[in-house]
Amino acid sequence: MEVIIDHKALECDITHSEIEFLSRKILDLNKQLIDSEKAKSRFLSLVANSLINPISVLLSMIPHLDPKNDVRSAKIYDTVYEQALVLDFRIQNLLAAAEIENGQVDISYALIDPTELVNEAIKSLKYAILEKNIQINIHNTIEQKVVSDPKKLYLIIRNLLDNGCFYGIENGIIDVSIEEKEAKLLVSVKNQGEGPKVEHKPQIFTRFAYGPEGYHGLGIGLSIVRDLCELMDGTIDYEADTSSVTFTMTLPLETNLSNSEAYGSNEFLFESFDDAIEL
Amino acid sequence: MIQGSSTFIHVGQIHVDTSPSAISTVLGSCVAVCLYDTKLGMGGMNHYLLPFWNGNGLQSPKFGNISIPKLIEAMMMRGSLPKTLVAKVFGGASINIGNSANTMMIGEKNILVAKEILKDYKISIVAEDIGGQNGRKIQFNLERGKVQMKYIARSDIGEGN
Repeated sequence: MEVIIDHKALECDITHSEIEFLSRKILDLNKQLIDSEKAKSRFLSLVANSLINPISVLLSMIPHLDPKNDVRSAKIYDTVYEQALVLDFRIQNLLAAAEIENGQVDISYALIDPTELVNEAIKSLKYAILEKNIQINIHNTIEQKVVSDPKKLYLIIRNLLDNGCFYGIENGIIDVSIEEKEAKLLVSVKNQGEGPKVEHKPQIFTRFAYGPEGYHGLGIGLSIVRDLCELMDGTIDYEADTSSVTFTMTLPLETNLSNSEAYGSNEFLFESFDDAIEL
Repeated sequence: MIQGSSTFIHVGQIHVDTSPSAISTVLGSCVAVCLYDTKLGMGGMNHYLLPFWNGNGLQSPKFGNISIPKLIEAMMMRGSLPKTLVAKVFGGASINIGNSANTMMIGEKNILVAKEILKDYKISIVAEDIGGQNGRKIQFNLERGKVQMKYIARSDIGEGN
């Protein structure tokens, strides 16, 4: 009997030291991974930051060049404006990806109207929507404004809509619904068309991963959506059937602007640590 | 009794504050590293869930190997030097929820990663209460750099602590 017990103890010891050894190894490999990721992030950040100023200037100037009645110039104008909008969108995504990778993302809450954000996103995607003749319906069941981070929510919605336009069928409909459920804000974007297959799910939200059904943009849009949702304690997922795909994001709704920071503290304020161990 | 305010931190958070404030949290298999700068009367605490970031998704401070260097950096940004810092490590219990956490030895790996990283930065661990099977409530008092700790029943530990 004693021998058996000794064996067990020995086995346990070996497993422990093995796990310790392997964990140290993982830690070491992880350090290398973090270092190489850092170099990538720095590059990304440099590129995005150096592109953002020129494109902002271009975007603010282009509308002044609207030729109005000259048909030939109007075509050129539209192409230039469309491409500038696409470029701006991609740079915004690059910048967001760089910020996320650097861990520099601060969440700043404000009162917002989700419908306004959707309309803003539609405006920035107007050429893509026109080209495919897509109809966008917005169903908002939330009457009041909500508290969330407007910049991040806008980027999430814009990416989901862009995705819907790209994969949606021509002359199709995109349904955007906004609702509140169990203190959470739900925004879903449903487009008609074949959705990504379930087995491709892990790739869909992975940065720079090649899309299994072709390549669109930089491959970072949905990864940004996932990361931003995660950063704000929310979720993102999609469901697809044979004729449509629906991306749904949830974000916890902040109910109190000013006291949100102090909320957790109260749990401990009146807690007695009198008989606690002091170390 | 703390004179200043007490900040409660959740999983994946890092908080740095000065005397006479306090920082508190609740731990199960999670680990919290408390760093104290004896010269500046400043301290910081993190609270992480898992030992390693695996390259997928965000480099979130819910992973030990991301959170601990971030905590050290945050202290250094405010003027600390590794040699003026001391560390106290808490948590890493083997909480038997459905046995899965235990077989993966999450608590022990969480402890190991804290010790290895602190060793790398040459920050000495002056106090610790780690492992075991009980959750812990801790309050880091920045006035004296002392940590008050109480064991808690399993039912009081929230999910993911």
